[in-house]
Amino acid sequence: MIGYITAGLLGLLCLSIPVGIVLFLLGFGIDAFFSPFPLTKGLGNLVWSTSNNATLIAIPFFVLLGEILVRSGIATRTYAALDRWVSWLPGGLVHANVATATMFSATSGSSVATAATVATVAMPQAEKLGYDPKLFSGAIAAGGTLGIMIPPSINLIVYGFLTQTSIPRLFLAGLVPGIALALAFIAITAILCALRPELGGQRRVFPLSEMLRALLELIPIILLFTIIIGTIYQGWATPTEAAAVGVAGAIAIAAMFSGVTLAMLREAILGTVKITSMIMLVVIGASFLNFTLASAGIGRELQAFLEGLGLSPLAFMMVVVLIYIVLGFFIETLSLMVITIPIIVPLVVAQGFDPIWFGILMIVLIEMALITPPVGLNLYVVQGARRSGRMSEVMIGTIPYLLMMLLMVVALIAFPQIALFLPDALQ
Amino acid sequence: MAQDLLSTLRRVNRVVALLVGVLLMGCVAFVLADIVLRQLGSSLGGTDEISGYVMAIATAWGMGYTLLELGHVRIDLLRSRAPAPGRALFDLAAMLALAGTVTLIAIRGWPVLSRSLANSSRANTPLETPLALVQAPWLAGWAWFAVMAWLTFVAAVILVLRGDFKASEATIGTFGELDALK
Amino acid sequence: EDLSVVGSWSGLPLHMEFEAPFWSEKLPAASGGNLNVALTTHNQMNLGVGDVFRLLGDGVYDVAMTVADYAVADAPELEGLDVPLLALTADEARAMVDAARPMVEDIYNARFNSHVLAIAPYPPQVVFCNAEINGLDDLAGKKVRGSGRMTTLFLEALGAEGVNVSFSEVPGALQKGVVDCAITGAGSGYSAGWWEVSTHLLPIPLGGWDSVVTAINLDKWNSLDDATKALIEESIATDFEGPAWAAAQGALDNDIACLTGNGACASGDARSMTLVSVSDADFAKAREVLVGKVLPDWAERAGGDWAQRWNDSVGKTVGVMIGG
Ligand code: NA
Ligand code: NA
Repeated sequence: MIGYITAGLLGLLCLSIPVGIVLFLLGFGIDAFFSPFPLTKGLGNLVWSTSNNATLIAIPFFVLLGEILVRSGIATRTYAALDRWVSWLPGGLVHANVATATMFSATSGSSVATAATVATVAMPQAEKLGYDPKLFSGAIAAGGTLGIMIPPSINLIVYGFLTQTSIPRLFLAGLVPGIALALAFIAITAILCALRPELGGQRRVFPLSEMLRALLELIPIILLFTIIIGTIYQGWATPTEAAAVGVAGAIAIAAMFSGVTLAMLREAILGTVKITSMIMLVVIGASFLNFTLASAGIGRELQAFLEGLGLSPLAFMMVVVLIYIVLGFFIETLSLMVITIPIIVPLVVAQGFDPIWFGILMIVLIEMALITPPVGLNLYVVQGARRSGRMSEVMIGTIPYLLMMLLMVVALIAFPQIALFLPDALQ
Repeated sequence: MAQDLLSTLRRVNRVVALLVGVLLMGCVAFVLADIVLRQLGSSLGGTDEISGYVMAIATAWGMGYTLLELGHVRIDLLRSRAPAPGRALFDLAAMLALAGTVTLIAIRGWPVLSRSLANSSRANTPLETPLALVQAPWLAGWAWFAVMAWLTFVAAVILVLRGDFKASEATIGTFGELDALK
Repeated sequence: EDLSVVGSWSGLPLHMEFEAPFWSEKLPAASGGNLNVALTTHNQMNLGVGDVFRLLGDGVYDVAMTVADYAVADAPELEGLDVPLLALTADEARAMVDAARPMVEDIYNARFNSHVLAIAPYPPQVVFCNAEINGLDDLAGKKVRGSGRMTTLFLEALGAEGVNVSFSEVPGALQKGVVDCAITGAGSGYSAGWWEVSTHLLPIPLGGWDSVVTAINLDKWNSLDDATKALIEESIATDFEGPAWAAAQGALDNDIACLTGNGACASGDARSMTLVSVSDADFAKAREVLVGKVLPDWAERAGGDWAQRWNDSVGKTVGVMIGG
């Protein structure tokens, strides 16, 4: 069955059938060949239940928030301001991509929305300043993944929901690894560009006065971050509701700093509807595929496999990491979580691991899945914002950042306190 | 004629997408109102439930707009290496797969609604929302998506048969001259 | 014969200790290898909880089990299976469920094209509060997180305000005062750490017992021969339903001991929540609200002669009459 899925997925994707539709077609195939039951009869219910979901509404809200920041010019100004601070490093503007992505991650719960926001403002710069498109776009795709690690995070909300762990604790646990990953991205960029200067653009040093003035441009985004996180930790809003607070906050802040027009809102809405439907077709298709896979017994296969190995906790964790990396190539991130959490988290907890810690480890693995082909939403989003060039360039550009994520996986396993220190200290 | 049809579809779906946006904004306002009222010691109740319905309906009705804006993700690995007529074949095959699948979803969605009608089902919540009331617009959205897909497919077939590959690529290709995120 | 079976929440003891062993080992063994079972759970399939019995009726799988309360959207009359506060012990709950069984069978036949094989309990849904309460009266004016329609309506009839918070957000909500109290199974509250953020435990089933119904698609059932039918019914009663009920009271006592430190806790460290005792006067008052408001409302929602049937079966067992 796993062979069929892999071959079918690759074959259909090569035909350039829309990714969401491919997932449905595979589900129909599993129904026809691997299940004696008429699973397709459940299609309507699956589509209804998957989309009738109050948690998922955070996706359009976060995308809309990002769109408003872009259309109001706040995103561009944030980007320019961060550029003043980081482009003295070897690699120049590439660092601004990572820094801007990190900043927006703190206001957005979605990696795709984060990548879309940064790509829209950054891409025109790359062409203007003559950057190597690979590393430049790779940095956006990878930096965007921080959107689900640095709070708020839709994926951590889903994890908390499915494993019945505390969402605010998960958010706290993601903060340090998220910032550490951002620093690791900046470090690897600097190292690469120091070794091969042609990868980055010009290093530019700005006078201190200009750097300090640039800080003012960060006020809107910091304000927005404070509003979103503040409402969660004050207990005024649940993490999902905070996405709506973020939208309202973004409109208010945009009105305050640069003005809001009806035309601008219209464009923001159109962009939001387009990205949301694009994501949801994949999410719904993945949910249907998951349903057919579970009915056909993939959960049993996986569980029997893991339990049959009889491994030590550490070796067991390595196998789990490997499974996520492999599945991450093919499965969209929310589906990947939904498919695997009910099977894997109980086994992980039974081995004595902390579920909050594992949530953070899983997020790193899911971040990797977002930028590994063939199913890597952030790659598509960044490619979509480019006007030319091959998708493969974006993929190659993410490789150094993938290595950093792998390093983070190792670090989290070796030192669980990286994730657990903050929530433990604040309880 | 094919071009007229397509530009009409684009125009109509733009309006639909804006209405979806208004629905989402309404939901933002509703959630905010509830948060504020909670601070004052009362509550509208059921924001969770209503957000879910909004998500289902908004998702379904936004699909057609995304389709016409070439927004549904496709992998361009082999296709981009083919000559124009070959690319057109890839596109038609992909469009056919999409239209067929979406039609099946719409057909299989009917029992969901009809069972809710037959049982007069109401949500297991204090709001007791009649499920048919929210499932009907949801299903209509998927039916709309299916109709959009078939009409687009027909228009593209006409363009391809006429040998107008440039126009067909702009209709059912990948990105084309339209920027995916603009 | 192959059976495709969809179990209830995979992480809860009912599935791990009773469902899974019964369907994957005991039943196949009892049939001498004639029955092959493929078992998954509705959360592993990512099914909406309201779809579990709908899809069973459509024949998407053969057997399904989940909380009856999840299906009341399609069958309001099913709410009568699990009325809050009528049964205080596992024995009483079982008597109530047994009395309701013929009604439940009719509901499942008509609404979900399926036949009821068993009804087993989740632990009763008790009240955790992060505020001093000394009895039911003190719930009035408090913000309480409940789940399900009848529980919420009951809370509101008691003067409390029903607030909708998802399970995983409850600890934060209790800590921040978004809610004052929340209802869940005693065991779930213990393992999810609710004792960290709440002080008082009201150990009465204000949310009912959350009965879990196991049902089989009616066409599938009718296609089985009599010997197989008898085998399934017999072994599910003795190897699943019986043991699950037998363990229920012990589990409740254990969970309460774990939360309050009164008695031995077999699940881990005992905690020190304050156990609130409920006086007879409190009970009498709650029943009054139940009989005067909550049950008549339900009778109206359910329509037909369901109230009459309920009076003649469940009502007789627990000593409560609707409209009497
Ligand atoms: Na974030
Ligand atoms: Na991937």
